[in-house]
Amino acid sequence: MGLILWAIPIIAVLAFAVFNKEKMLHVTSITASIIILVVAGILTRNVILFDKIEYAALGGIFYLDAVSMIILDIVLIIGFMTSVYSIGYLNEELKHGKIDSRRIKLYYILMYSFMFTMVFALTVKNMGIMWIAIEATTLSSTFLVGFHNDKQAIEAAWKYLIICSVGISVAFLGIIFLHFSSAGIINSFHFLEWTELFDKAKALNSPDLRLAFIFILIGFGTKAGLAPMHTWLPDAHSQAPSPISALLSGVLLNTAMYGIIRTVSIVNKNLGSSDFTGRLLMAVGLLSIGTAAVFILTQKDYKRLLAYSSIEHMGIIAFGIGFFTPASIFGALFHMINHSFTKSMLFLSSGSILQKYGTRDISKVRSLLKILPISGTAFYIGLFAIAGTPPFSVFSSEFNVIAAVFANNHFILGSVIVFLLALVFVGIALTLFKIFYGTNVIDDVEPGETNIPGTVVIVFFLVVISVTGLYMPEAIITLIVNAQKIIIGG
Amino acid sequence: MKDYLDVLSMLILFSSLVLMANKRITSCIKTFRLQSALIAVAAGIMGFKSLYEEGTFDILVVCLIIIALKVIYIPSLLNKASANVEYKVEKNFFLNIPILILVCCALVVFSYFSISTLEGINGGQINVQVVNSVAIVLIGMFFMISRKRAIGQVVGFLVIENGLFVTAMFSTHGMPFIVDMGVFIDLITAVLIMGLMVFRINEKFESIDINKLNNLRG
Amino acid sequence: MINVIYILVQIMVIILVAPLVNGIINKVKAFTQKRKGAPLLQMYFDLYKLLKKNAVVSEVSSWIFKATPYIVFSTALAVALLVPVTTLIVPTGFPGDIIMLVYVLALGRFFMTLAGLDTGSTFGGMGSSREVMISALLEPSLLVAVFTVGLVSKSTSVYKMMEAMKNADVPLAQPVLIMVFFAILIIIIAETSRIPVDDPATHLELTMVHEAMILEYSGRHLALMELGAAIKQLVFITLLVNVFIPLDQYIGMTGISAVIISLLVYLVKVILVSILIAVAEVSTVKFRLFSVPNLAAFSFILSFLGFLQYSVFGR
Repeated sequence: MGLILWAIPIIAVLAFAVFNKEKMLHVTSITASIIILVVAGILTRNVILFDKIEYAALGGIFYLDAVSMIILDIVLIIGFMTSVYSIGYLNEELKHGKIDSRRIKLYYILMYSFMFTMVFALTVKNMGIMWIAIEATTLSSTFLVGFHNDKQAIEAAWKYLIICSVGISVAFLGIIFLHFSSAGIINSFHFLEWTELFDKAKALNSPDLRLAFIFILIGFGTKAGLAPMHTWLPDAHSQAPSPISALLSGVLLNTAMYGIIRTVSIVNKNLGSSDFTGRLLMAVGLLSIGTAAVFILTQKDYKRLLAYSSIEHMGIIAFGIGFFTPASIFGALFHMINHSFTKSMLFLSSGSILQKYGTRDISKVRSLLKILPISGTAFYIGLFAIAGTPPFSVFSSEFNVIAAVFANNHFILGSVIVFLLALVFVGIALTLFKIFYGTNVIDDVEPGETNIPGTVVIVFFLVVISVTGLYMPEAIITLIVNAQKIIIGG
Repeated sequence: MKDYLDVLSMLILFSSLVLMANKRITSCIKTFRLQSALIAVAAGIMGFKSLYEEGTFDILVVCLIIIALKVIYIPSLLNKASANVEYKVEKNFFLNIPILILVCCALVVFSYFSISTLEGINGGQINVQVVNSVAIVLIGMFFMISRKRAIGQVVGFLVIENGLFVTAMFSTHGMPFIVDMGVFIDLITAVLIMGLMVFRINEKFESIDINKLNNLRG
Repeated sequence: MINVIYILVQIMVIILVAPLVNGIINKVKAFTQKRKGAPLLQMYFDLYKLLKKNAVVSEVSSWIFKATPYIVFSTALAVALLVPVTTLIVPTGFPGDIIMLVYVLALGRFFMTLAGLDTGSTFGGMGSSREVMISALLEPSLLVAVFTVGLVSKSTSVYKMMEAMKNADVPLAQPVLIMVFFAILIIIIAETSRIPVDDPATHLELTMVHEAMILEYSGRHLALMELGAAIKQLVFITLLVNVFIPLDQYIGMTGISAVIISLLVYLVKVILVSILIAVAEVSTVKFRLFSVPNLAAFSFILSFLGFLQYSVFGR
C-alpha cells in the first residue's frame, strides 16, 4: 500500500512526458494528487492504530511512523492544494503569453519529481538514502526556482543550487560520522537505519556522534533555512513561481527539519541529556528569529517578506525541538502543521496578487481589497495569522512553545523570544498598513478574481487555519503526541 | 599496505593544493582529473583487498564508476562548459595565490588538530587518512569561495564531493553500496544541472563573473 | 689517514660527475626538440677551453669581483664534503652540518650577488635582486624540509640522515617524507636555476637570473663560477637521491667492491634524476618573476605539511 506513494509520482512524471495538451496535463496532475492523498489518509489511520508501518519489500527500506506521517500528510495536502491552484495560475500565465505549453509540461514534470523526492525522503528508514533524497530535492527544484528565466530568477536559482549543495555535502560528512560511530555495533545489513541506530543509541561512540550532529545541523539546517545558512531562502522563495514558493516554504523546509529531528533523537538518547543538542538548536533558532525580525522591518518586496517569515517560524520550530520537553516538542510539531498551512495560503494569494499587479513591490500594491476581494482578504487575514494573532492556529502553537519555556522557569529565554516575535509583528503590521490602507487607486488593473480554483483553495486554507486555532480533531492530537513520544524516546 | 593508503591520501591532499595554486580553468580541470585518478587508485587498492579477504565486489565497482564518471565524463563536461565562456585565466583574485595557499595550510592544520583529538579516532588505524580527507573537503569549500567565476564554484563543489567520498572510503571502507550509488547519481545530476546553469548565466549576464550576480539584496 | 683518502675520493667523484649532469640535461632537452645537441662531455671541453683563456676584469670593479669565483667554488666544494656520495665512505660530518650546508651555500650566493652589482652594469644588478628575492622566498621551505628529515632521522647531520633512511622502510612510502621529497624537488629546481624558475640557456637579459650575475665573467673566473654552480647542483641532487632513495643496504658485499658498486648505483641514480629534471624543464615554461612566490608558497606548504604530519602522528 505504501509503495503506491512512490509509484504514483513516477507514473505521473512519465505521463507528463507523454501528454502534450494542457488539459490532459492538468487532469493528470489532479488525479495523481488525489490518489496520493487518499492513500495518505489510509496510511495515517494505520499509523495511529498500529504505531508504525514497515514492509519487507525492497530490502525493508519503507518505514513510516508518527513523526514522518505528520510531515508526509502536510506534504501531500499542500501538494494537492498547490496542484489545484497551479491550474488557474498556469492558465493565467498562458493567457498573458508569458509561457507556452511546453513550459507547463516542464513545470509539471519538475513539480512531481520534486514531490516524489520529498515523499521518498520521508518514507525511508536508511538515513543515507534519506540524504540522497534531500539532495535530489535541491536538484529537482533548481529549475523550478529559475522558472521565469529572467536575470533575478537565474541568480536566485544559482544561489539556491550552490548554497544548498554545499550545505548538503556538509550534511553528508555528518552522515559519514554517524555511520562511523556505529561501526562494529550494528549489523552490516542495517547500516544507517534509524530504527537500529535509535535502539542501540547508548552503545554508539559519543564524540563521533557529537561531530555528526554538528555537521548534520549545519547541513540540513542550510536546507531548512536556519540562520546563518539562510541566505538562499529569501531569493529562492521570492523569485520562484508562487505555487512553487508555497511548496518550498511549506513543505521542503519541514522535510529538512525532519532530518535534524531524527538525528536529535539519536544523539539525545546517546548522551543521556539534551544539553549539547539543545544549546546548539536553541542558539540557531534564536538567531533565525532575530535575523528574520531585523530583515522584516525593512522589506520592500512582499514575497521576500513571507520568505523571511518562514525563516522566523523555522527558528521557532528549531527552538522548540532544542528545548526538548514533551510540551515544547508538541508545540514544535503542531507549529510545523500550522505554519505550513498558513504560509502556503499566503504564498498562493500572493501569487494571485503578483499576477494581477505584475510587481512584487509593496508600495505599488494599492486598494487590494477592491481589486481582489477574496484573495486580498485572505492575504490580509493571513498576514495577521502568520504574525501570531489569536485566534489563528499559528498563535496557538507559538503559545504552546513559549508556555513550555516559561513552565520550566527559563524566564529570560522566554522573554527574548516574546520580544523577537513582537518585533516581527511590528514589521508585518507596517507592511499591512502600507498595502491595505493606501489611498491611490491604480487604473490599469481590472478588479476581479481570475484564478477560480486557486481562490477556492485559498478559502479552504483560510477556514482551516481559523478553525485549528481553537479546535483540533482528536486523531490529529493523538498523532502528534505519538510523534512526540517517538522523538523523546519512550 | 596501510602505508600506501596513507601516502595516497597525502598525494590526494597534494593534488588539492595544486588545484588551489592554479590560475587557468583548464589546468584546474586537469588537476581535478588527476585527483580523481588518485582516488580511483585508492579505491582500487581497497577493492582488491576486500575482494581478496571477503569476496565482495562493491568497492571495485565503485572504483570503476569513479574512473568512468570523474576521470572521463565530468571533466569533459566541464571542458565543454568552459569552452563557451570567454574567460580562461583568472586575472583578479580576492587575495593573491600565496595567501590562498597559506590559508589552505591553516585549514589543514585546523582539520588535523580538531579531528585527531577525537577520542574515538585517535591512535587508530585510520587517523591520517580521515584527517587528510576532511582537509580536502575544507580546501574544496575554500576554493569555491576564492574564485570569482561560476565555473570555479562548480569545480570547488566537485572537490568537496571528492573529499567526502574519500572520507567515507577511508574511515568506514565505503558507505553501504546503495548509498554510494545514490551519491554518484546525485553527483552526475548536480554537475549536469550546474553546467546548464552556467550556460544560462552566461547567456543572461554576458559573463560568469559572480560579482554581477548581486541584484537581490536585503 | 683513511679519512684523507675518503675526502679525496669524494672530491674526485663530485668534481668529475658535476659537469656530466649538465651534459645529460642538455642532451635530453635536445632529443625532445629533435636535435642531436652538444656531446655529453661538452661541459668538460668548455671548462678546459675557459681555463686556457685570459680573464678580462673591469677596471671599475673591486676585489669582490676577483675574489667571488674562488669563494663560490670553495664554498661549493666545502659543502660537497658534507654530503657523502655513498654511505659507505663518509668524509666528514658533525651534528648540525645540514644547517652549515644551507648557510655556506648562502655565503657563496651572497658574494655572487655582490659581484653582480660590482661592475655597475644594470643587468648584473637586476640578476642580483631577483636572485636574492627567490632565495629569500625559498629559504623557509628549505629549512622546514631539512628539519623535518632531521626529526625523522633524529639527527641534524647529513650522513646520519642517510644512514637512518637506509635502515628504515621505503622512505617514499611514508607520508611525511613524500611531501618533503616534493618540496625539496621544487627547491632544487629553484636553487639550480632551472626552468620554471630561471632559464639557463636564455640569451635575453630580461629573463636571466643566474646568468645575469655571471655575465661579466670570462676565462678562468667563468670556469670556476660554472663549475661551482654545477657542483652545487650535484650536491642538491645527491642530497635528494641518497636520503630519499637509499639503495646501499642491498649491497651484500663489503670492502672495495662494495664501494665501487655503491658508486655505480649512485651514478645511475644521478643520471635518472637528471633525466627527470630535463623532462620537467621541457614540459613547462619559465614563470613570470612574480609567479615565483606562488611556487615558493606551494613548496613551503608541502614541507610544512610534512612537518605537521610528523609532529601530530609521529610517523
